[in-house]
Amino acid sequence: MIFNLRNSIILFSLAVIVLMGSLTIYSVTSIDINYFLRFLLINIFVILIVALIFNQINLNRILSFGWILFLANILMVLSVEIFGNEINGSKRWLDFGFLSLQPSEFMKITFALFAIQYLRFYNFRFTRFRTLFLLGVLFLSAMPIIIQPDLGTGIVYILLGLMFLFICGAHRFYFIGMGVFGILLSPIIYSFGLTSYQKGRITSWFSSDQDLSEKWNILQSEISIGSGGFTGEGFLNSKQNEFNFLPEADTDFIFSIYAEQFGFLGVFLILLMLAGFIVLTTLLTMTEKRLTSDLSPYFIGTYCTLVIGFSFLLNILMVSGMIPVVGLPLPFFTKGGSSLLCFSIMLGLIFTSRGFLK
Amino acid sequence: MKDNKIHTYRTRTNILLTVFLIILFLVLGRFFYLQIIQGNELKALREQNINAFEYIYPKRGRILSRDGVVLAEDRKIFSLAVDIEQKPSEESIEILSTIFSDQIQLNDLKDLVSNSLRYRKSEIVIDKISQQDLAKYLVRGSDLRGFSVIEGYEREYNNHPSIFHVLGHMGYINNTDINYFSPKIDEYDSRLWRKVGKSGIERVYEKELQGQHGKKYFQRNARGDKRVTTDVDPFQEGQELYISIDFEAQKLAYELMNDRKGSVVVIDLSDFSIPVAISTPSISANDLRDISSLQYQDLLNDPSRPLFNRAFMGLYPPASTIKPLLTVFALNNGYTDWEETIFDDGFFRFEEEERVFNAWREGGHGLTDLRKALVESSNPFFMNLSIRYEKDLFVDFLKSSSFGSKLCEDCYPHQFSPLINDAWKYKNFGKELFKGDFINLGVGQGYMLTTPLHLSLISGILAKKGNYQLPFMVTKKDNMLNLAENLTDEDWSRLHQSLTDVIYSPNGTGFRINAGDLKLAGKSGTAQVVDINSREEYDEVRSNELLRDHAIFIGFAPYDNPKYSIAVIVENGESGGRVAGPIAKQVLEELLDDI
Repeated sequence: MIFNLRNSIILFSLAVIVLMGSLTIYSVTSIDINYFLRFLLINIFVILIVALIFNQINLNRILSFGWILFLANILMVLSVEIFGNEINGSKRWLDFGFLSLQPSEFMKITFALFAIQYLRFYNFRFTRFRTLFLLGVLFLSAMPIIIQPDLGTGIVYILLGLMFLFICGAHRFYFIGMGVFGILLSPIIYSFGLTSYQKGRITSWFSSDQDLSEKWNILQSEISIGSGGFTGEGFLNSKQNEFNFLPEADTDFIFSIYAEQFGFLGVFLILLMLAGFIVLTTLLTMTEKRLTSDLSPYFIGTYCTLVIGFSFLLNILMVSGMIPVVGLPLPFFTKGGSSLLCFSIMLGLIFTSRGFLK
Repeated sequence: MKDNKIHTYRTRTNILLTVFLIILFLVLGRFFYLQIIQGNELKALREQNINAFEYIYPKRGRILSRDGVVLAEDRKIFSLAVDIEQKPSEESIEILSTIFSDQIQLNDLKDLVSNSLRYRKSEIVIDKISQQDLAKYLVRGSDLRGFSVIEGYEREYNNHPSIFHVLGHMGYINNTDINYFSPKIDEYDSRLWRKVGKSGIERVYEKELQGQHGKKYFQRNARGDKRVTTDVDPFQEGQELYISIDFEAQKLAYELMNDRKGSVVVIDLSDFSIPVAISTPSISANDLRDISSLQYQDLLNDPSRPLFNRAFMGLYPPASTIKPLLTVFALNNGYTDWEETIFDDGFFRFEEEERVFNAWREGGHGLTDLRKALVESSNPFFMNLSIRYEKDLFVDFLKSSSFGSKLCEDCYPHQFSPLINDAWKYKNFGKELFKGDFINLGVGQGYMLTTPLHLSLISGILAKKGNYQLPFMVTKKDNMLNLAENLTDEDWSRLHQSLTDVIYSPNGTGFRINAGDLKLAGKSGTAQVVDINSREEYDEVRSNELLRDHAIFIGFAPYDNPKYSIAVIVENGESGGRVAGPIAKQVLEELLDDI
């Protein structure tokens, strides 16, 4: 790993995000300083260990297991149906005693690994059959997630999968076609494909009725954000959290608490760090000199970087009321093993891509 | 690998990066909007979320008698409520049920607690703890998590039943109360009040007595619990109210009634305040506080009507006690003078209608002038006068004697003595007044009805020689009224002398009162409950107590410088002079002793 200015900025940005995430989790969940340290250490350790493991393993070795990992992941998602814990009317979690995992979180990685393995075999040349095959696999593998039911994760999974195929160079006709098709089909999916819980989340977003509980959550989230003002209420001073007005403050809505404590300046800082991290990392993989030989690290690196970036933005769009509530975690902020592990693995894959390595 | 392919990859990555940055700037704009532009509004909403307040119920003002006895006051009471934050443990529920074993059963307590927790409402489990039990509770306080002591107030009245009708009572607010108080009290918020004055002084002076709520500001979380008190505005205690009732005299008057039905009303002639106003039988206002609806029904159905305020509401024929007032009317309009005499043979023959009216004394009073007619209470004399009355003048005179109008703003509920005129008779009997009616009216029978309060006022009017004010208990009214301007001082002193002779001359109907040196002047009356045509019928009526005549006495003392006027009515007491008079004597003695 080379510590030039660019790499230092990337690492610094990431460090700030992880630190802020840990501080916010600490402020939300407990006033015990040990808890914060533990969370920070766990965050850093998981990131470092996973990154180190991936650093040691040849990416080619990982990729050769691509389809097995993908298949295993699908089976785990399915097994949730049988063994999983039910929360909020849907089964998403597998309980391993020391940590409970949400296997659907990992699908976005394993699908990419599987697709890369498949495409690499054909030297990343898309034919109509290969494109349709991968699209078919993508949509079919999304089904177990959607029927959990976890429509949000399912849709995001599909969108990220499409993004992956876009990065790898599939013909633009498919994306345009699917865009048109999706728009035309959305009313039918809404009418017949959604449960009332899911419909509620969507209608509440368009409704102006303040009494709907989903709308209430969003309102409370906006109140948290707005209360932060320019400079914020200060660390540990989130009243919305103290008086429990914000539901799921330690998971999906954690950024609202962050915004209340650190204000617009804090939000600006985080977005600056995020932009710095995402843009510089992407440019790094793009300007890789050896782009001409094996493209796999480039694809996987770019993909993982953008997944982190878009996941971050989607969550913030959700908590600030710009898109319906879909239950997306905020990378390195959300308290939860699956999310942390998933994004740590992505960091590992990014660092394995060759820009960081001589 | 071909360059154009690599170019495609780079383009696509650049597209995605551009999309990412566009969304990022959108998000930044959204946060700018929420935090900078809408920041203050949203912060205000957050404060609304968190900060709430509740009202602190004020302490109601005390009511005291003019001799300084506390008649009503708010007493602090303690209750135990479920603390929904701490949640009572099984163990503390059991301990509590043993401490208060006589007030609540273990199972009831468990139900109360579980309901309270389910609906997140801090239910009261033990109402009104005695000091002793409170001490027991506080000693075990540390073992008894999950309950909290709540302070409150309860109206406590002087237990003597004489005071109930004047003070009135408190009760839970209903729509009638809201309609009553809304126009009387500015910005009346009925939701703030649990109990309000239902009758008596409590109702008339609700505004003054009620006080003002305090406010307790606190912070709460989204579920409504986790309260942190931030600020307290203390309540304003209601005004203290002195009323004109003389408690000692009031008590005495009640006891002298000795469980008979009736009423005593005294007016202090120095300012026309009311020092005594009792209605018997009565109850203690405290008994009405915690009464069940069944017991309340029993009280309402009690034939002796203990809840009915006879003093201000009861309508009785004044009988002979109206004669002095009608003397004033007759002299004022020149219908008679002190010299005119008639021969009273015990009957009055009304020739126009060929009717004969019996008088109360067999054989009559013989040759009778106005003085004798008053002293010995001759009905034929006043009947003879009454056929001379002109209808309009008679009605006007009744009107200026406060018939048909409200007498006392502080008396609630209040009934005025009906003004007998054509309209009244037409409404009740479909006919106009005719001459024959005046014969009965002239001796205070027939349609003539007065309240004890009005009778006492009539007595006061006579004592003050026609100059009078409307009586009151709290708020003095400064409007002098005047009656009978044509009467000379000579007329008045002869009238006073006649009323003194009622008591002190051996022929007087009130001689048996033995008024001694009280200097009492007065007039007795015996009001028929049923119309009687013959002696035989009369004996039959006497055997049924409820059909016996009402005994009435009005008077004032001392006669040379009147300080108090009084009216006493003893239902079915038969003889005004012998039954009602002695009560008046003792009450006036008590009041005059004080001076």
